Amino acid sequence: MTSPLMRAVEADEALASIFQTEYAGMVRLAVLLGADDAEDIVAEAFYQLYRRWKKLRGADAAVPYLRSVVCNLTRMRLRHLQVVRKHTTPATAPPPGSSAEAEALLHDDQRALVAALKELPARQREALVLRHWLGLREAEIAEAMGISAGAVKSHTSRGMAALTRVLEERR
Amino acid sequence: MTTPSTEAKLRETLGALAAGIEAAPPAYKRARAEWRRRERRRRLVLAVLVAIVFALADLIGLWALNQTRDHDPIIFDDRSRIHQTEPAIGVIPP
Repeated sequence: MTSPLMRAVEADEALASIFQTEYAGMVRLAVLLGADDAEDIVAEAFYQLYRRWKKLRGADAAVPYLRSVVCNLTRMRLRHLQVVRKHTTPATAPPPGSSAEAEALLHDDQRALVAALKELPARQREALVLRHWLGLREAEIAEAMGISAGAVKSHTSRGMAALTRVLEERR
Repeated sequence: MTTPSTEAKLRETLGALAAGIEAAPPAYKRARAEWRRRERRRRLVLAVLVAIVFALADLIGLWALNQTRDHDPIIFDDRSRIHQTEPAIGVIPP
């Protein structure tokens, strides 16, 4: 039988370990999903994890939960930016998900692919990033995005078809 | 029509893009202190809101009771039974 104090210490240690190992990956995920303020999103996601720690099924569920929160917060942020862009002139509004420093190192083809990825609807982009960057299975992607496995298949194939069209047009 | 080359290219591009992103985690202790501060603030705001709603409900109830006349019951009204005449038939006085 573990005391509440022991449980709190264990939870703190587990959270510290997840924070050290997953922070950078979550920031990268947020940037790839198109977030312009990835570090704020990840900080908020870790706060949500801290709040809900007792309600998680176990320590194994922490990373999928974190991933899911990052996806949701990024989607909300992109929607907010779309609304802001509608009400501002193009010159004053920065493009969403600008990761200019990272993009500067890419080849032309890769830059075109990133530009095409940014044009995709948020759900398709999420499905493609989770599938092809994190290499998650359909069920894991469905859990992260809060949709069915069938919907994941649909988003992935539509997104991939759109990217293929863009690449073929460039040839 | 998707091709395996698109998938490979996408994987390579995402990998290259992710590799170019610098992200060092901040100090855990500072981050945890910030989470605790936010949690304390959230609980305080929640407690204040609950207290305000409770106080408002009390005030509204007191105001409603104060609006009634002295001999005008607003919760149970048994005046109809008090002033009702006893049935004449079927009741035999002792």
